[in-house]
Amino acid sequence: MAAAIETVLNRLREVVGDEGVLADRNELVAYECDGLPIAKGVPTAVVFPTDTGQVAECVRVLAKLGVPIVPRGSGTGLTGGCVVFGGGVIVSTSRMTRIESIDLANRVAVVGAGVRNLALNEAVAARGTPMGATEGGWLRFSPDPSSQSASTIGGNAATNAGGINTLKYGVTTSHVLGVEVVLADGAVVRTGGGLCDGVGADLTGLLCGSEGTLGIITRVWCRLTAGPRHFRTVYAEFGCMREACQTVSDVVASGVVPTSMEIMDGQMIGVIEQAFGYGFSAGAGALLLIEIDGVEAVLDEQLESVVRICGANGAEGVRHCADAQERAELWRVRKRAFGAIGRISRSYCTQDACVPRSKLPEAIEAITAIGGRYGLKVTHIFHAGDGNVHPILLFDEDDADDVQRVLAASEAILEYCVSIGGTITGEHGVGVEKLHLMEKMFNSATMAAFGDIKAAFDPDGCINDGKLIPSDRIRIELKGVTGMNVPGGAG
Amino acid sequence: MPKPLTENTTVTANQPAQIIELVQRCTAQRTPIVDYGHAHKTLGHPPPPDHIQLILQNNTIEHYDRDLVVRVEAGTTIAKLQATLKKSNQFLPIDAHDDMTLGEVITHNVFGPLRVGFGAMRDLLLGLRYIDGHSRDIHVGGRTVKNVAGYDVTRLMVGSLGELGCIYEATLRTSAIPQTVLSVELSIDTPRRLDAITTDLLVSDVGPVHLALHAQANHWRVHLAYFGHTAGCRAQSNALETFLNRFAPELKIDRTQETTLDQDAQQRTRRSQWRRHTPALVKLIVPLAATGAVCRQLSQWATTYTTLQIDALPAHGRVFAGGDLDADSAHKLDLHTSQLAASVGGLRIWYARPTGTQSIDPWPPALTDRATLTKLKHAMDPHNLFNPGRFITAQQ
Ligand SMILES: Cc1cc2nc3c(=O)[nH]c(=O)nc-3n(C[C@H](O)[C@H](O)[C@H](O)COP(=O)(O)OP(=O)(O)OC[C@H]3O[C@@H](n4cnc5c(N)ncnc54)[C@H](O)[C@@H]3O)c2cc1C
Repeated sequence: MAAAIETVLNRLREVVGDEGVLADRNELVAYECDGLPIAKGVPTAVVFPTDTGQVAECVRVLAKLGVPIVPRGSGTGLTGGCVVFGGGVIVSTSRMTRIESIDLANRVAVVGAGVRNLALNEAVAARGTPMGATEGGWLRFSPDPSSQSASTIGGNAATNAGGINTLKYGVTTSHVLGVEVVLADGAVVRTGGGLCDGVGADLTGLLCGSEGTLGIITRVWCRLTAGPRHFRTVYAEFGCMREACQTVSDVVASGVVPTSMEIMDGQMIGVIEQAFGYGFSAGAGALLLIEIDGVEAVLDEQLESVVRICGANGAEGVRHCADAQERAELWRVRKRAFGAIGRISRSYCTQDACVPRSKLPEAIEAITAIGGRYGLKVTHIFHAGDGNVHPILLFDEDDADDVQRVLAASEAILEYCVSIGGTITGEHGVGVEKLHLMEKMFNSATMAAFGDIKAAFDPDGCINDGKLIPSDRIRIELKGVTGMNVPGGAG
Repeated sequence: MPKPLTENTTVTANQPAQIIELVQRCTAQRTPIVDYGHAHKTLGHPPPPDHIQLILQNNTIEHYDRDLVVRVEAGTTIAKLQATLKKSNQFLPIDAHDDMTLGEVITHNVFGPLRVGFGAMRDLLLGLRYIDGHSRDIHVGGRTVKNVAGYDVTRLMVGSLGELGCIYEATLRTSAIPQTVLSVELSIDTPRRLDAITTDLLVSDVGPVHLALHAQANHWRVHLAYFGHTAGCRAQSNALETFLNRFAPELKIDRTQETTLDQDAQQRTRRSQWRRHTPALVKLIVPLAATGAVCRQLSQWATTYTTLQIDALPAHGRVFAGGDLDADSAHKLDLHTSQLAASVGGLRIWYARPTGTQSIDPWPPALTDRATLTKLKHAMDPHNLFNPGRFITAQQ
């Protein structure tokens, strides 16, 4: 880092006040990682601006002093994206929590980047029915990552987060109308804004999912869409994963678009039963949760065709959620599933990849077999409707050998997914965790084009350099690290 | 020794390698490559007089029908693509005229009433292959429905007006063809409350799959439709009647028709056909709740000056207005629409300007992201080969 630490801190204090700068080593430890604890780095300081102007000023100060800048929301990311390596300052959005407007008539909310996903949805819900005419009608910000109670809208946009209802309603980028972003030179740029259309290339689309490498998002225009009013929720038990996966593939091929299709394997069913006692059959080999929503008049007919497909694939029973409470409890259990894995393993590593949905049956078998080849147990709970697999590798973090095998197996799994037409990440992003796999996914021309885009926004690599795409300036190597911990969870 | 290019020629490229070679030759000879598409020839500043026009291949490369995903060459026309998908009882849910190529639809972010139920190109496009201004063969996105690896250049290219590279292949989501389409035609005296009614409709049980407003000579019509099984469509249409009686009595159902997707698509195309031929066409993008008011003001303006045809997508704040305007009326309309857009925080773009109105800037006044777009253009097309000057001008 070019400048003396005290100079940096003093300049930042001038911008955000004493209370807006954290530099105490003991407190900084809380910022040394995100949900990927093998990627650790204690920042030089954390700065907490409260508005776009302060962010821009902090960026100018830090860029001028040659101090690396890393944007951070809530730190729930799973790829080390918001971690500082080799010194630098975290610009946290955690004080940018103002919901500036909720405009039901225009179906848009304008929020500070640090607003939590759930906080926005609660605030929108509190505003009630848009026009007051239709009973029960409501609006929401649709992206629903399982981390929604903690993760920020800025973080959701920066990672293009998905969730359980992505299958029908799309990922975050489909719900962001525009962003305000501070670039590496401190310039403030607004893309899109509250309109549904713009002029020229889709910059909002580019910034979504750019993992904080192109600038710091300070404000987001969130599209509010109609929340579903009528549901049918069922869960089908199967003897094996292949049958459950084949069902998903067949439902997709039939043209029905459920809101969600989530699969868990027998081991996960057991774990969840132990932890939450929902009432799943302990002996089932796989469970498929399906929800459809829409117009009441057509739901039963749609459900019937879905249930028929389950039956044709050997479902041993299809159970319906009787009421809203049972449904809510089912999804609560699903979203908390990762917290229960500690019951079967000291440590676990959740991978994230996507495969074509028609290839799910073979893919899940192949992934489990890859784990086996490395002497590891693999369990599964994932967004099957999107083909977004989350194989969970179970291991012991104190066993250095185990750690290395997890890393090797993860890589083999991701390479396999790419080889069948899939991708190295469905929703968690690249961060530092998957940097080394980018070249397996993209040809050298495309990697060079990504580099050009980064350089157009941030020629000196001031902001989150070395994440998402490799950098000449900083090399972050995770492979040698031992003592792998428990990643926070996923999906 | 490569053959010199004769300028203003049309070149057909069958392989990415041929596009690369062409880009290299054009770079060496400083000859721009221009593609404004069939339906957007008049959009933006005109191309330089000497240029090369590229004709691309038009085949479906692979239809992953069980995944509802298709990989297509960008030169494929919408008609050809829809015909291919139909064989598997699928379609691409986008409103685009049959003769447009897929590349044109992507680079111009073409959308219409179907956006209500299926989203726009940015929601349907999964992957792209294109040649950039460095003559590189770029592959972004992929064939899975979720993918967050690398920069989302796939989305960046949507609406890029062909200024960032030459797209030669795209991968898209498709949808199943519905058993029935039930289309409803309604009339309304004034669109004053249409925005509020639209929001109400969307959050109700009778949210349609498409919705559009059309007006000529102060005669307002709303067209909407439901897709699905026949019984379900009928149930929704009945529920719509109840909804309108209670909440929007000013909307009167004139006609309800059970039809096929093909027929419905033809009707949607017919209703927007006027935009292809009108000498003057301006588009306004406005906040959703301003759509009705903007339409009303445009029609009031028309009663004083000239006849205007108007169509709008109230669910997406898009308004098109146009007609057989002379230069004088077009200038007046420009002033009116510019003020109207500014007053509601919207944008106005001229799609077609009649003769004698070249002084009208087709684009809205400076947007804050224009400088960033210019930097990107420079990064992706350093020799300013692709549609130079159409939107992003070199001096910015
Ligand atoms: C229990 C659990 C469940 C999860 N479930 C899901 C899930 O269902 N779906 C899913 O997609 N992800 C999931 N995740 C991952 C994570 O929650 C998401 O990636 C989330 O969007 C990150 O938000 P955050 O505010 O915590 O961002 P952070 O973790 O702080 O940052 C993530 C990345 O975004 C960048 N960033 C953050 N804020 C900004 C900003 N304002 N401007 C620019 N860049 C910024 C950072 O630099 C970093 O690269 C889960 C994580 C956990 C721990």
